[in-house]
Amino acid sequence: MHPAVRADLEQVFRSAYPRVVAVAARVLGSRDEAEDVAQEVFLTFGRSSVPAAEAAGWLTVAAAHTALNHLRSGRRRTTREEAAGVVDPVAPDVADTVVAREERRRVRAALARLPRRQAVALVLRHSGLSYAEVAAALELSPGSVGTTVRRAESALREELNRHASPQ
Amino acid sequence: MRHPSDGTLRRLVDEPDGVADTDHDHIAGCPACQTTLAGVRHDARTAATALTSHVEEPDIDAGWHRLSATIAAGTPAGQPVSRQPVSRGGAGWRTALRRPAVAITAAVALLSGATAAAATDWLQIFRTEQIAPVTISQADLLKLPDLSGYGDVKLTEPARIRAVPDAMAAQETAGLAVPQVAQLPGGVTGQPQYQAGDRVSAEFTFSAAKAARAAADAGHTLPPMPAGLDGSRFRLTAGPGVAAVWNSGQGVPALIVGRAVAPAAYSDGVPFATARDYLLSLSGLPQDVAAQLRGFTGDGRTMPVHVLAEELSSAPADVGGIPATVLTSKDQVLAAVVWVRDGVVTVVAGSLTADEVLTVARGLR
Repeated sequence: MHPAVRADLEQVFRSAYPRVVAVAARVLGSRDEAEDVAQEVFLTFGRSSVPAAEAAGWLTVAAAHTALNHLRSGRRRTTREEAAGVVDPVAPDVADTVVAREERRRVRAALARLPRRQAVALVLRHSGLSYAEVAAALELSPGSVGTTVRRAESALREELNRHASPQ
Repeated sequence: MRHPSDGTLRRLVDEPDGVADTDHDHIAGCPACQTTLAGVRHDARTAATALTSHVEEPDIDAGWHRLSATIAAGTPAGQPVSRQPVSRGGAGWRTALRRPAVAITAAVALLSGATAAAATDWLQIFRTEQIAPVTISQADLLKLPDLSGYGDVKLTEPARIRAVPDAMAAQETAGLAVPQVAQLPGGVTGQPQYQAGDRVSAEFTFSAAKAARAAADAGHTLPPMPAGLDGSRFRLTAGPGVAAVWNSGQGVPALIVGRAVAPAAYSDGVPFATARDYLLSLSGLPQDVAAQLRGFTGDGRTMPVHVLAEELSSAPADVGGIPATVLTSKDQVLAAVVWVRDGVVTVVAGSLTADEVLTVARGLR
């Protein structure tokens, strides 16, 4: 391994990579993009001195932030699915695929408009972190995690409804 | 009994054990809460559905090969990776010094300044006379070990900030008058709470052994250390200060007007420019950021204020003819303006627009 990265990188990568991809995929809805985010996250982690005991939490939070950064910067790689054609070859129905893609586009747009703290709390909570873990990650009191998540969900619903009407 | 908050109802949906029995009892017998709870559950389900991802398990071996190849090729990290947001709360000076964001500011302030002759006594090497923003990404901040990675940090005068009954008491405690606001911005009402704080000071002793460990942790070898730096002591002081705080009841104060004796740094006599440059060379900061810090801390009177590229933007302004820096959060929630005059730093901040904080700042008496 390159000397400029931490010695435990491979071990941490192998145990945490699926989770980091999964957190990013909740935001981005695309495995290819989520894997791009995971690569960035582990590259930064590899060069950091984050204590090993805090690695899992740090990686989860970094995955959420970095995926949200991707949304906000408007960066969108041409994913393999898109490059391969309009239609996912394994989807049973073309219409379903189109609807699912439109739905995902709306979710991404809605997440991009949420205040960052709310968006991160929402993603972490729906990635399975407990209230105590979300509180620690965002330096909130556990009591205010519910309020933050609630506001995020309410804002998400409003954003989704607002943009649900046909063009 | 008042109704439990929406946050409590939300927690009831997925962590009922975290909700107090009294709240359980109230909600069970309260039709209004039951209605709200149904809405909360509905929104939680909608969010869960929206955030469901149907992606397959990634290929770990392929992912690891890709990462290894990137590292071997020495490719830069690319887009910034965020760490947890920097605390905005008063977690205390010692905690603050451990935070990378504050540590680099403090460290550069400590080690910046003009050349100085050897001195047996404490010699002032840095006095804040102006403030300049440095834009830095969270990814870069993340690369920095905290100040305790370079030596020992000892709090010699702890932060003692306390509420006082009125402006006069604040002035008596701190020896500084609380600036008077000519006209409150729209939406800010009522009387402020006054706070006063004593001078805070910390002492930092540079340690070659600790710096070597920090470098090793980051995968580097410590470059040769300038003579006399190991064991050198630096002292950083700030305050006393006063503040008037208008609360909004929403966690973030509606308006804060604060004034404090600006930070200063002292040394027991090492070649400061050399020490500063050495610290910057260890920091892992990109060359351009290091050069920027080196450039404007060369005069020993410009305090760098880091601006997180992802969260804040900064703009120059003037307040009564004095250059000032306006900071605005990118989510448009917070704005602040800060300036230094005669060794005293003043800040006006709140959940306001940049124009509103500037209007308050320019109207202070």
